[in-house]
Amino acid sequence: MENVATDENWKTCFSQLAPGLLLFARQWARSSADAEDIVQEAFVRFWRKQHDIANRGLLYATVRSIALDFLRRDSRRARRESTAVSETDQMVQPMFEVEDESQRALVAALDLLPNEQREVLVMKIWNELTFAEIASALEISQNTAASRYRYALAALKKNLPSV
Amino acid sequence: MNDFSDIESKLRKLRPVQPSADLMTRLERALAEETATPTAGVLPRERRFHFNWLSLGLGLAAATALVLFAFLRLEGPVQKRSSLAAITPAPAFSTNSNAQFVPAGLTQVVYRTRDEGLHFPNNSGQPMRRVRSHTSETLRWRNPTTGASLRISYPSEEVSLVPVTGQ
Repeated sequence: MENVATDENWKTCFSQLAPGLLLFARQWARSSADAEDIVQEAFVRFWRKQHDIANRGLLYATVRSIALDFLRRDSRRARRESTAVSETDQMVQPMFEVEDESQRALVAALDLLPNEQREVLVMKIWNELTFAEIASALEISQNTAASRYRYALAALKKNLPSV
Repeated sequence: MNDFSDIESKLRKLRPVQPSADLMTRLERALAEETATPTAGVLPRERRFHFNWLSLGLGLAAATALVLFAFLRLEGPVQKRSSLAAITPAPAFSTNSNAQFVPAGLTQVVYRTRDEGLHFPNNSGQPMRRVRSHTSETLRWRNPTTGASLRISYPSEEVSLVPVTGQ
């Protein structure tokens, strides 16, 4: 991977990262437009500071920081969050291109996961981050990241009897 | 982790939705700009407003500190002036001039001599001629590094007794 600041073809870098970044941001955003704004701001900030694009932990930490800041500073959204998050996160959903009923059931099971487990799952499965990178982004230990990942898979397996 | 391989495989088959077509355009425009980061207008702008307040607060604090610092500096020299005036001349003159000036010569000019006749000092039987000379002596120092010179002249009077020998 090259440094974003010196990579003239930054579009290639962003195209590869964008779907996973958007999915990651969707955990805190109510809509795809919100998620895109968060990702855009994070990527611009990351690019201007000339961070190494290989430092994915820092990139996702930037997205997460902006997303949480986005939630905190918008009182209207904060009010909605206070009611919606307590209702088992029905409003905070990853967004996938569902092809069949089994995938729809899987997405529904994902929605039932606690936030801390789902964000680790999203970073691991769809962004292919290592546990070390996840730990760096979330400021937790690698063991904690791995544990949350296992708990998430176990919960999905439990909620999907056919798997 | 093998227990979860099936569900991991199913999860990886789920494809996240792709970003909208105009995201790349907006991002390109944002990267080209130096200050602003245009978005779709969904992000709350209150954040920037808050940042301006923070900057204003920091600016006011810095300005207050500068005013206090300038005020203290204006008050300070009045107290320091007397002590500085008392101590600066002595070391500046003595250390610099004495340390760097080296003796360059001595000139002795006798401008008047007077023979005062024969004398018998201490009641001795040997007569001696007393000669009084008026001279002017000049001592010179020179600073080899700067080329500056220092000259001190003073008058002197010398009385010499010259033994009288028989011829």
